[in-house]
Amino acid sequence: MRKQKNELNHAGYKRTAGDRIFENLNALFFVLFMLLCLFPFYYLLINTISDNDLVARGSINFWPVGLTISNYIALKNVADLGVAFLVTLGRTVIGTITMVAVSAFAGYLVTKQEMWNRKFFYRMLVITMYFNAGLIPMYLNIKMLGLTDTFWVYIIPALVMPFNIILVKTYIESIPPDLEESALIDGAGYLKIFTSIIVPLSMPILATIAIFGAVGHWNAFIDSLIYNQTAIQLHTLQHVLYTYLNKTSNLAAMMNSGADAAAAAQAAQAALNNKVIKYTISMVTILPILMVYPFMTRYFQKGIMLGAVKG
Amino acid sequence: MNAALTRNLPLQHRAADRMYYLLRIAALFAMALMFFPDISSAKVTILINKSVSLFSAGISYSGLISDSARPLRLEWVQASTYQILHYGSLIAVLGGLFAGACGCMSLGSLRLKRLGNIFGIAGGGMLMLGMGMTYIAYRQFAAIVEKADRIAATLPDAVFIYAGLGLLILLISVIVQGILPRADKNDRFEMKARYRLFLMFLPIVVLAFVFAYLPLYGWRYAFYDYQPGGTLSAETFAGFKYFQALFQNESTRNDMIRVLRNTLVMSGLGIATSWVPLVIAILMAEIRSKFFLRSVQTIITIPNFISWVLVYAVALAMFNTDGFLNGFLGLLGVQSDTNYLMGNQNIWLKMLAWGMWKGVGWSSIIYVAAITGIDVHLYEAATVDGAGRFQKMRYITLPSLMPTYMVLLLLAVAAILSNGMDQYYVFQNAQNTSTIEVLDLYVYNIGIGEGTSIPLSTIVGMFKTIISVMLLFIANNVSKWTRGESIV
Repeated sequence: MRKQKNELNHAGYKRTAGDRIFENLNALFFVLFMLLCLFPFYYLLINTISDNDLVARGSINFWPVGLTISNYIALKNVADLGVAFLVTLGRTVIGTITMVAVSAFAGYLVTKQEMWNRKFFYRMLVITMYFNAGLIPMYLNIKMLGLTDTFWVYIIPALVMPFNIILVKTYIESIPPDLEESALIDGAGYLKIFTSIIVPLSMPILATIAIFGAVGHWNAFIDSLIYNQTAIQLHTLQHVLYTYLNKTSNLAAMMNSGADAAAAAQAAQAALNNKVIKYTISMVTILPILMVYPFMTRYFQKGIMLGAVKG
Repeated sequence: MNAALTRNLPLQHRAADRMYYLLRIAALFAMALMFFPDISSAKVTILINKSVSLFSAGISYSGLISDSARPLRLEWVQASTYQILHYGSLIAVLGGLFAGACGCMSLGSLRLKRLGNIFGIAGGGMLMLGMGMTYIAYRQFAAIVEKADRIAATLPDAVFIYAGLGLLILLISVIVQGILPRADKNDRFEMKARYRLFLMFLPIVVLAFVFAYLPLYGWRYAFYDYQPGGTLSAETFAGFKYFQALFQNESTRNDMIRVLRNTLVMSGLGIATSWVPLVIAILMAEIRSKFFLRSVQTIITIPNFISWVLVYAVALAMFNTDGFLNGFLGLLGVQSDTNYLMGNQNIWLKMLAWGMWKGVGWSSIIYVAAITGIDVHLYEAATVDGAGRFQKMRYITLPSLMPTYMVLLLLAVAAILSNGMDQYYVFQNAQNTSTIEVLDLYVYNIGIGEGTSIPLSTIVGMFKTIISVMLLFIANNVSKWTRGESIV
């Protein structure tokens, strides 16, 4: 049965030699495409877990030699990396939760026809997607509000995301209104309806915007660069990584000077060099995304379809 | 509230509603002005930092004394004076909040209104009290004879503004409380749904206002000789000096031409290759194994979800002096230590390549979604008519994707000036700046990066925004004429 099916093409006709050639070439193309996307990450990985002398000589190209995880252990001597990790984790968690809560609530409120001047305020919100005052006015505004050199500059300006509000609004409008109406008749207030009916029913869309928001927070570095330039302890992981990537000084020596004698000896033994340190820091920044990514694909693709439908 | 109801209301209700308008406006002003350092009542001496607004003076004591460490240590001034100023500002801030609460409650039932009036009386009173304390602090500063020129006590006009607003709020609350009848025992604290919803939405509107509309007020920096930490005043007013400089100053003009060329070329290359994801999506639709298809979709979209910094890290690993490419060439017996990222050659193409590596997979997923939406019967009918694989692609899939493609193309044209700065910032170096600098990066470089000219950077950003909005408007109209529906 199965075999028979395989010999037919997708239109139900017998596959010709031409079909086979095309399909194989097509598969080959996509295999190459996937390699192109994955190989750089693989290359970073094998260089961080191989013998550092070989890495320094550039002889690790396709497979790891002399497996070791000493580089990852040595990273504990890079003090600002841990701080940056915590800052980034904090902004990802707090920023995502608050943004989703605001988007959900705002999205719900703008579906309420009876709101005073609803149209006006909704339009005022949507228009903000299409213009921005520019970098300097925005910077001076943030500075005027006293948000520069604070953690909150990562969270507060990102609370109101018009596009996410539109997505939630569109989704809530597709929920049958009967549920809400019967709750309203039972005497439930707007807040009660929001928490007990709207939020549970909107979970798919909320999960989608949460994941996009979280990726955005994890990857953000321009806001760290602009608003927290001088507050080094608040730099995000990406920003710290960028700083390290551009350092030409001897990173291994720097790491050793900050650590105790035992750690210094350990690092020296591991033959740390700039290249390896840079690769390893890159790897720990990528890994969280790579690890959660396969589980998130579903939501990402749902998200893009919603975006396309909106059009 | 409909007209018939309004007419039946007693006269005093209508009078109260009129006065409430005034109160709400006053409360709104009092709360908004608090955030402007230009209108700070706390600036009673030049020892206080220029960027301290009434709000920050009330919230943060350390901010208030940040510039006064030396005078405090040398005891020219007393810490207690600052404390009076700090607590006075805090009381004024809370007063503003109370006045705002009164303004909100005035939308409710009679009982809520009467409670709100109490808040209004308290709020107005606190605003005046706060200003009174500010005045005391001012007197204490002014009374210091020694180093009087270094302290330069002045009473800011803002004190009178806030005190006046406080008085207005207080008076209105008292009068309205007097003329409104007592609430019935059965009357409840309630509010009409339309106002309740509005008040719930208000914080979101305020946030949008503060972070999207308020920055537009910063466009005024284009008209001043502004240096970081400087002031905007009549002395520094420059009129259209920087606008003229943009067009008349030889080097600025050359910079603009160069940056615009980079921007347009890179956006143009992006638009010229915008068909690539479409083709990839069509090819993806020909994959027959579900597992293989899922793997492809998962893997080719990964680069879209890593940051540009990480793309740069990957680029370094691949093409740096000691990167993969040189190592690989070494295996082939070619000794090479070229750093492919440093030079100035083919920057536009390299940037296009990195942009595509990151984005093509993700963009193609949009079209995959559109392809799944195509009616299967169309393909079946075409098969019956004897159409081959490529004919079906050409006559069914491609035309079905055209509307999506056109929308994305129009949006890309509208965004032709907005390449973003992330990608170009991370790949920028001393050798390639001249060809990599796009408009967004240029605005950063001259505004913050090297800090050469804030007014000029503001002007460039301003023009960019205005032109982008116009382009979007045109694209939207083109879409309306040709497709009958708008895109934004």
